[in-house]
Amino acid sequence: MTGGVVRSPLRTAGETWVEEPLTRFIDDSRVRLTLLLESSGRVLAQHGFTRSIDVMSACALAAAIHASAAEIGRQLDGTPFTSLHHPGQERQIFLADLSTPRGAHILLTVFDDATSIGLVRLYFAELAARLATAAPVQSATVTAPSLTDFESDLNRNLAKLFGRI
Amino acid sequence: MSTSRNGRGQAKTPYAEILAVLVRQRGVLGSFVVSERDGIAVDSNAQIGVHAEAVAALAASLHRKARLACGAAGCGDVTFLRLDAERGGICAAGRDDLVLVTISETRANIGLLRVEMMRAAKALT
Repeated sequence: MTGGVVRSPLRTAGETWVEEPLTRFIDDSRVRLTLLLESSGRVLAQHGFTRSIDVMSACALAAAIHASAAEIGRQLDGTPFTSLHHPGQERQIFLADLSTPRGAHILLTVFDDATSIGLVRLYFAELAARLATAAPVQSATVTAPSLTDFESDLNRNLAKLFGRI
Repeated sequence: MSTSRNGRGQAKTPYAEILAVLVRQRGVLGSFVVSERDGIAVDSNAQIGVHAEAVAALAASLHRKARLACGAAGCGDVTFLRLDAERGGICAAGRDDLVLVTISETRANIGLLRVEMMRAAKALT
């Protein structure tokens, strides 16, 4: 049931291994917006966004919120907080990290009363397991992106997400 | 063997006794108080092996959709929901945002369970 809303397709930045698990998560959980990114803020896939500027902002904010929450968790509890849920009046945000053989990733999702946080958490756990299985093993030669590469990577991924290349 | 959890896994909630009464019924594998809006178990009493979080989230969603369907059909509020399956079933009775859910085997006496659940649902606040 889509509540009369036409669901936009999932778009990936060339990372085909995330397609099937993410599509299934979106279909099962009935979330409105989804963003999968690396912990650095580099976007891998998006669903529901219509403007690249929104994706760019959401990625930066999600990475910052996740880093802040993780550090608060370390300070308070000795271990980082791994997920965050913020319920609004009409829409809610769920932000959580995923560990795959390709490294740490962050999932940001926005949903409304078509689903619930219980269902989103349930299908998120399934997504995490599927992504961990689907991820190709990280090559030993791959290193963290440099600051100069980061901006060009970000722009290239955004262009791929919105079909400009 | 069963476990009782309330999210913190420690202090008893006001629902612990209600859930214990339901779990004592023949063939009942678990009982939960679930927030319909959030799909999160407020309290649960379930046998080891019952995936409480998944059942709570899915049953709350089911109850919500049944409530909306009954409203759209002009039937009024849902009072009791029963779902039969090959090896058992799920029953739900709601009050405001809270839903009482039980998982049972086929040998359970559903009539008796329904009476107990309707009585218990009245005590949910």
